[in-house]
Amino acid sequence: MNDNTLLKLEDLVLYFKTSRGEVQAVDHVNLELHKNKAVVILGESGCGKSSMAKAILRLLPRNVGQYHGKVLLEDFDVMSLSDEEFRRQVRWVKMSMVPQAAMNALNPVLRAGEQVAEPAMIHLGMDKEEALDLARQMFENVGVPVDFLTRYPFELSGGMRQRVAIAMALITKPQLIVLDEPTSALDLLTQANIMNVLKTIKWETGTSYILITHDIATSSELADEVAVMYAGQIVEINDAESFFQEPLHPYSQRLMASVPRLYGDEEPDFIPGRPPSLLNPPTGCRFADRCHLRFDKCDEEPPTFIVDGHPVKCWLYEKDHQAVESAATGTGDAS
Amino acid sequence: MTADVQQAVGRQAKIDTLKRIGKYTIVRFFMLFFAVAVGIYLTILIANMGGYVDEIRKAEIRENIAIQISMNPQYKKLSTEERKQLQEKLVALEEERLGLNKPFLIRSLAYLKDALTLNLGRAMNMTSDSGSRQVKLILLERLPATVLLFGTSFLLNFFVSLFFALMLSRRYGSFWDRFVVALAPTSAAPGWFYGIFLIVIFASWLRILPYGGMVDAPPPENPILYALSVAEHMILPLMALAISGIFLSMYSWRTFFLIYSSEDYVEMAKAKGLTERAIERRYILRPTLPYIVTSFALGVIVVWQGAIIFETVFNWPGIGRVYYQAIGLFDIPVIVGTTVLYAYLLAVTVFLLDIIYAFIDPRVKIG
Amino acid sequence: MNLNQFREITRYPSAIFGLVIILILVGISIYTVIALPYSETVVKWRGGDMVWQDNPRTVPPTWTNFFRSKKLPETIIFRSTDEGVEKQVTPLKDDLTDIQMTYTFDYTADDFPQEIIMFFTSTFEKKAPYISLTWTTPDGRELDIGDFSIDKTYTRRMSQDEKLTRKLNGQPAEIGLFADPNSENLKPLKGTYTLTMAGLTFEPDSSFDAKTVIYGKVFGMAGTDHLRRDLMLALLWGTPVALAFGLIGAVVTSVLTLVIAATGTWYGGWVDSVIQRITEINMMLPVLPILIMVGVFYSRSLWLILGVIILLSIFGASIKGYRAMFLQEKEAGYIQAAKSYGASNTRIIFQYLIPRVVPVLIPSLVVLIPSFVFLEASLAVLGLGDPLMPTWGKIIDEARTNGALYKGLYYWVLEPSFMLMLTGFSFAMLGFALDRIFNPRLRGM
Repeated sequence: MNDNTLLKLEDLVLYFKTSRGEVQAVDHVNLELHKNKAVVILGESGCGKSSMAKAILRLLPRNVGQYHGKVLLEDFDVMSLSDEEFRRQVRWVKMSMVPQAAMNALNPVLRAGEQVAEPAMIHLGMDKEEALDLARQMFENVGVPVDFLTRYPFELSGGMRQRVAIAMALITKPQLIVLDEPTSALDLLTQANIMNVLKTIKWETGTSYILITHDIATSSELADEVAVMYAGQIVEINDAESFFQEPLHPYSQRLMASVPRLYGDEEPDFIPGRPPSLLNPPTGCRFADRCHLRFDKCDEEPPTFIVDGHPVKCWLYEKDHQAVESAATGTGDAS
Repeated sequence: MTADVQQAVGRQAKIDTLKRIGKYTIVRFFMLFFAVAVGIYLTILIANMGGYVDEIRKAEIRENIAIQISMNPQYKKLSTEERKQLQEKLVALEEERLGLNKPFLIRSLAYLKDALTLNLGRAMNMTSDSGSRQVKLILLERLPATVLLFGTSFLLNFFVSLFFALMLSRRYGSFWDRFVVALAPTSAAPGWFYGIFLIVIFASWLRILPYGGMVDAPPPENPILYALSVAEHMILPLMALAISGIFLSMYSWRTFFLIYSSEDYVEMAKAKGLTERAIERRYILRPTLPYIVTSFALGVIVVWQGAIIFETVFNWPGIGRVYYQAIGLFDIPVIVGTTVLYAYLLAVTVFLLDIIYAFIDPRVKIG
Repeated sequence: MNLNQFREITRYPSAIFGLVIILILVGISIYTVIALPYSETVVKWRGGDMVWQDNPRTVPPTWTNFFRSKKLPETIIFRSTDEGVEKQVTPLKDDLTDIQMTYTFDYTADDFPQEIIMFFTSTFEKKAPYISLTWTTPDGRELDIGDFSIDKTYTRRMSQDEKLTRKLNGQPAEIGLFADPNSENLKPLKGTYTLTMAGLTFEPDSSFDAKTVIYGKVFGMAGTDHLRRDLMLALLWGTPVALAFGLIGAVVTSVLTLVIAATGTWYGGWVDSVIQRITEINMMLPVLPILIMVGVFYSRSLWLILGVIILLSIFGASIKGYRAMFLQEKEAGYIQAAKSYGASNTRIIFQYLIPRVVPVLIPSLVVLIPSFVFLEASLAVLGLGDPLMPTWGKIIDEARTNGALYKGLYYWVLEPSFMLMLTGFSFAMLGFALDRIFNPRLRGM
């Protein structure tokens, strides 16, 4: 824990109440993010990664069951703030969000420029003129033609809308942007463009990202660190390079093995079976019944071991490695 | 872009928008007019399948001529027999002149023109308060009473249910939410149905409210007392209309808002840190405004139709009751005339709806 | 749409309640149609002297006595042909025959009867029989209450007998014959009464039969109306009429609307435009006034009215809603695939498009049923109901026009209203629950 840490999640829990029981979407997650770094939360559909975004940004649905843990922004636990305080001090001031491209995250009856300008009016105290001016700058930063300020969302293409969403997330210059599958619904060319925009912004403004995605390829472009999520739990956190070369957790290994390579003759592999339901997660290691390295200890839920400074939640690393109750440490600087 | 250019672009955009809306309005006006004409034409066809509208016309001609003859000093000296013959001759002439012995198609078009200009003929048995027999006057005299009662009720129900529905959509699953949902089926029964019950309870049994009518008889001279008396007579009808309409409205809007507040852009608005009120206004109400307006207009339409029995039950002196009386007295001109009036009112409502729609739906604005 | 969704109904108590009521109503309908055949009912309902003679006029149901401290009397009828009647036939000289009949009954009510009427039938050739009536009260008083000759059919309304009224100190028969002489306020004397009828016939083959009806002030399970008709008949028969009207109307309208919307949306082009125009025109047509015109000018037959309503409803505003849904479905992959492998238009419409939207149709169909039921009632209340069939709306209309509300005859209005309400609410509750189950946009809740 040091001055470079921007965000620290401690034992974050978010469960939902449904008619069939409690969905344990975010199950005691620990994560650390440093300033001007991008951590990618990688996972397949249904692992709870979108709920992670909601948990961090306190966007709770109507049927929230349990929500607790610590969300430390620069060492201050924002979970302790009331809703109104959170709204005024944190929302879009410290943390903003770029939503999934497939969603209709833009209000269909408001013009694009207005929507981008809104946070500036609310949090920066600007009047409409100033805010629209600022919005215009943002549009230029993300590569959206300025006359789109007066257009309605239905007049914009998917890629344009996503850029507008990024502009919107930037306007108040927050320290952290959470991006939830920002490019998954876009074509490859647009994806590449958007990724470039994000990289440029990170470089120019020093913003930190939490990028939530299932797309290993695009995430590799932006990631400084990778956190792998499975069945509501973080099973591995590693720095990007190490991760892509030598993933530690069996799940991560199978994931990387399933990525088709441009060069080489290996055929991509697949992981048999399906991830467990978050309604009634199995006791013991949640990956056990799909794991190729499973052994009898796996019937018990593994603690998180620190392997070369990287947290991994797997019994295979029990020997010679320290277990921790909670708290993950990032790479780089000594903790 | 310089400021001047920007302003010029803005102005041009506004002019374009108005032009578009104007064009749209005119197109809709003609389409609706066509629809009204067809609707009224159908009404006439149905009415005249038994030859009734013809009768109305002929009766009116007869009466006109009779008056003419009696007023003309030339004919004063004629005997009754001669006068009758003269009348028949003039009537036949007039009928020929007006083409009443032409084929049905042409006649019906003539009636259509009459109906569209609200020339609704003379009543057979009924008279207006001012003593006129003209159907148009009879109806127009009674229209304000209907508008007063139903207009008030409608506005009350609409805005109260909208307000509460917004509140309920935020408190999904709470006691009041479940209460309203449970009571939603009360709308299965029409207003007059509850009216009967209310009259039984409050007028018959408890005797604290009047049985019906719009104002005490004899009506108070003092305008304030008059207004109070009318208000007192409006209590039970308004209650009946409220019971039969408000729970369904609240339920529908609340469900509607629930659906629309689970839209992604609403969540984004919350993430952006907008206040609840701002979210409600710009992200829930604004996008749903077209639907709200539509149902407003449709609600008005339904309200017109329910008036007939409702006013009869409460003895409220509006056009609904006139219609009922006309049925009882078999006064054909009034019956047909009222139906035509209803068609007109519906058309006007739909037309207004379309115009409002044009202003608030950006897809229409932009085209 | 699958069975699982139907099973979800059990989660909604209001739906189960509604469903139970509906089943009860269906049961009543089936029973009524079988046990009380239509043709008979129509004849009966038209009334007339013979049919409802034995019922009192405009009285509430018997069970209301349960709530009263002052119990109202029930009707007491005795006929000369009854078994318990003491009959003494004494032949006298010259073909004269003396026939004495004694009727004994107990009177336990706290109020007086509504009226007393005697119905005589006799056979004779020239000379009619002569009747003498004697009344014995529980406290032993004996009164001569009538000496008169009768006819082949003869009705004697005791309250209209002025001589008798005078004899009873100005009180009409139904009060005077029962009043307790020792009581200060007017109340009937309880106990055993005897009516002795002495009849004299003058011919050997002459005979007579008498029916005495002491009309009560309560009757049956539903009471009676101004024509002495048992309201139960109308309440029972109103059930299948209401259900049939509602179900047929709602089902036919909904299905036809769906087909029209699907056809218009699928074919697009001018077909769609025409349907849109027709829908707009239809919106202008005021339904109730047109129905009234049809009813006033042509015919009030229930089935004709139903037909007209359906005709006016199929191009209703719901077409726009369905159209939006079909437009969405139209672009779906499997539809395009079907088109490309040459499926006929009809097939696509009926086998692919429509089934997708049916789940949304169901709740609106169910909720539509009460509208039809009340529409029929509305027409009846306006006096335009079917002239032959007894329906609930008809009862309300008759009650209203006969001043039920002013005279405090609440049962007359409340009973059919209750049935209407029950029917309407049960379908509405079921429909709302179904909406929560089938509406795809509500499923997340």
